[in-house]
Amino acid sequence: MFILYIFILAIIFAIISILMKKGSWEIAMVESLILMVFTSIYGLVRFSTYTGGMISTSSFAIDKSIGITFSTGMDGLSIALLFLTTVIMFAAIYTARNEKFDRRFFGLMMFTEVGLYGLLISRNFLFFYVFWEAIIIPVFLLIAIFGDSRKEKASLKFFVYTQIGSVFLLLSILTLFSYYGPSHNNVFTLNMSALLNPSFITKDITDKVPFWTYFALFGFFFAFLVKMPSFPLHSWLPDAYTSAPYPVTIVLSGAISLMGGYGFFAVLMPIASVIGAGIAWTIIGLGIFSLIYFALTAMFQTNTKKMMSYASAASMGFISISFGDGLLSSGQVSYTAFAGGIYQILAHGLIMGLVFASLYLIKQKAGTDSNLSVSGLWRDMPYISAFFLAGIMASLGLPGLAGFISEASIVLSSYYVLGAIIFLVIFGMIITASYHIWVVQKTLNGPFNENLGKIKDAKASEIALLSFLFIIILLLGVYPNLFFGPILNFVKGVI
Amino acid sequence: MTFFLYSNILESLYPEIFLGFVAFGMLLMGRRVKNWMVYTTISIMALLISMILLILLDSGSQSFFGGAFVINNFGLYFALILITSSLYVSFTAGSELKHDPEIFFSIFLFVNIAMIIAAFSLNLIFIFIAFEGISVGTYILSAHGKTRRNLEASIKYFFTGVIATGFIVFGSSFYYLSTGTFNLVSVANAADIAKPSMLLALILLFVGFGFKLALVPLQQWAVDTYDGTKNPVSAFLSSGTKVLAFLIILRVFLVGFASMRTDVFYLFTIVSIITMTYGNFAALSENNLKRMLAYSSIAQAGYLILVLTVVSGSTSQFAFTVAIFAAMYYSLVYIFMKGGAFMATGAVNKEKVEINDLSGIGLKSPAFAISLGIMMLALAGIPPTAGFFAKYYLFLSLISGNLWYLAVIGILNSAISVFYYLRVIVVMFRPSSEEREFNLSNSILLPVIIGAVMSIGLSFLIFGYPYLSGIVAGLGVGA
Repeated sequence: MFILYIFILAIIFAIISILMKKGSWEIAMVESLILMVFTSIYGLVRFSTYTGGMISTSSFAIDKSIGITFSTGMDGLSIALLFLTTVIMFAAIYTARNEKFDRRFFGLMMFTEVGLYGLLISRNFLFFYVFWEAIIIPVFLLIAIFGDSRKEKASLKFFVYTQIGSVFLLLSILTLFSYYGPSHNNVFTLNMSALLNPSFITKDITDKVPFWTYFALFGFFFAFLVKMPSFPLHSWLPDAYTSAPYPVTIVLSGAISLMGGYGFFAVLMPIASVIGAGIAWTIIGLGIFSLIYFALTAMFQTNTKKMMSYASAASMGFISISFGDGLLSSGQVSYTAFAGGIYQILAHGLIMGLVFASLYLIKQKAGTDSNLSVSGLWRDMPYISAFFLAGIMASLGLPGLAGFISEASIVLSSYYVLGAIIFLVIFGMIITASYHIWVVQKTLNGPFNENLGKIKDAKASEIALLSFLFIIILLLGVYPNLFFGPILNFVKGVI
Repeated sequence: MTFFLYSNILESLYPEIFLGFVAFGMLLMGRRVKNWMVYTTISIMALLISMILLILLDSGSQSFFGGAFVINNFGLYFALILITSSLYVSFTAGSELKHDPEIFFSIFLFVNIAMIIAAFSLNLIFIFIAFEGISVGTYILSAHGKTRRNLEASIKYFFTGVIATGFIVFGSSFYYLSTGTFNLVSVANAADIAKPSMLLALILLFVGFGFKLALVPLQQWAVDTYDGTKNPVSAFLSSGTKVLAFLIILRVFLVGFASMRTDVFYLFTIVSIITMTYGNFAALSENNLKRMLAYSSIAQAGYLILVLTVVSGSTSQFAFTVAIFAAMYYSLVYIFMKGGAFMATGAVNKEKVEINDLSGIGLKSPAFAISLGIMMLALAGIPPTAGFFAKYYLFLSLISGNLWYLAVIGILNSAISVFYYLRVIVVMFRPSSEEREFNLSNSILLPVIIGAVMSIGLSFLIFGYPYLSGIVAGLGVGA
């Protein structure tokens, strides 16, 4: 129940934020800090003894005849992503201390957080879908109102892409719903645990997998791959990431990108036994292709923000690969694969938060984020450069930082499943490392570009945020069991 | 039950009779009083009183004239929706059309009488007369105004409308030829029906009634008429009369043609696919705001008639209940989201309102921009607006009825439609390059805010599913 109170608190906070005319930054910052602290305390208290399954459940029946209940619950997956959400939202709001951003901005940010919170605690498909959609509206408005010169095109593209994905999600939910009732004595339910039941989904008189199963699976995969984004459905990403203001980019890359992965592990993992090997190989293929394709695209970007957007998309390829691995293997290997994928969502979000937050400071101080005109930043801004380097190193998977844990477990399980094909994954990782190092070489090292004029290093308050993010990344890198334990228990409980 | 029951028919017609007295009274008053406020107040009061009368006189299900005029909860629900739509547009109508208010509002009340009668009719002759009452009334309403544009819109509407009327008469006569009755219910039981003439009746009646709902290929008048008439009239034409036309189509083709379910199914499957796709694609490239809304209401009509495909194409009782519930719920939500959007166009003081003319309004009046934005999101079917729940039940019924391909086509269409609805939101929050004056008087702002509040607030009506699904049977047909 405690988690429900935090959720209600988040709604109240969002309304306060949009109403308060003065001091909106201070209010939003304190609100997101409170939410982060409460969520962390809740996580530490309830998940230190977590052994799998669903805890903190609550349920309010709204309309029993068609199965609508507002039911909530937490598991190892949701707590990890909820922690990520609150940290990223805090970081994004903290960096947004700027004249340009008014109460509309902070109100929409808080509504985004409410949507994500609701999505992660919902255990009823109707509310899952409502929150899934409700997140898009504030993010769309954030890009459409506060973005750069191409904001209109970018925001519409973002909305239409994700909307097409969402409507397929809705169709799949309706499909499961309408086939559940007739085979269960006309008891209709939208409960996720009831609908995501492999024995019901494959139920057919002739023992064949019925047509609607494929229909539902297709809808789910389509919706989640758009949000991920995976290779053929990604073209909203570079536009949205680059035209959004930096705080919104932090939210997009850190928090919004978790939705696709969350869909994979919360909706598709429980019905893993229904998904055939063909689909699993397709997912792996898309993941590997995304990894290599986005890495190669990133290499040729002259804008560091755009480059890191593609880097973010490339990292999401690991999640597809891990999911496919988990489907194709069994036992310990599949646990490692699934848990590695979930850990990758968490690590990727935090790392991208650090990268974009330090990039935002570079943009503010140096006036540009093009990597052609920025060079030799070490001389004048050593602190920001250090944190940017740390983010880049975490992003390419340096041991000791959070990204390593997930990439290591994904590569390990891929080795068992893919065999020799793993060299493609390694190839993608090498390209990733090469352009990461190249961008560091170009912007941080070398002679200082005197055209930039005199630039200042970060203030103490800005360094505080960057070190806060870095400490979490470091902590997750050296003591992964903090989250890996609950995640592994969750995976074992579901499979 | 073929004998006439005169005993209590009069009492059931009190709302209509009351409205009629008020309408004639207004015409008499018109000699002396010319103040629009007076007429607006009288007509709002009269509509409210007739609403109360309708609810008070509700005494269960009653049938008159051998089943031609049936009073039940289903008809009552739609009658209340139709009066609500009239109430919703009256305030803006009064303040926008300042000349000859007595003529406008008396005609308006006459149209309402016809709408209430049509909501309870289950006989082709009754429906025809009520339908003509509405048509003639709306021809006059759409001509109300001083510019040539209003007249042009009305003439276009009138000429095409009269031809459609001819089709209804022609179709009804073929219907009588094959069934021997004008009643819609009794035919459902008839086993021996002359098929060829019945098929002709189906096509002719479809042309006649589909015209009013602006189904493709009978849609072109709608775009010109909505564009040319005054905003409150276009709001009324696209919400109130559209819902009524939808109700009549439900009655005629589901009850009257119950013996020809497959034909009805194929006809409406093809028509709904063409209508929604055409409406959405035409709206995509439209820069004129009112024409864009007109095309979008064509597309919405395409979604609405998906209900007919479910009921005629599926045998599942659950799908049937959800489909009719979706029809009832969608109609209610539609009145506010569409009517409100049309009335919002009055904020720009121009004859032809372009979407780009709205730029900068988000900074001048955030209340207006947020409200119109909510209505656009509701039209696009984005949660948590009521427009989403309406679409949710619609697609749920399609999937429960095993009509996969229609659900996919419908849902892809609604995803495409997001593009042009959101364009309005994006433009509203764009800073304007030139200084613009907006008309943000109460007569514009109030209905827009009400529309937005209802577009969100009606989503709580999903709690009403158990109650409303109980009155679905009042349609007079079961799966």
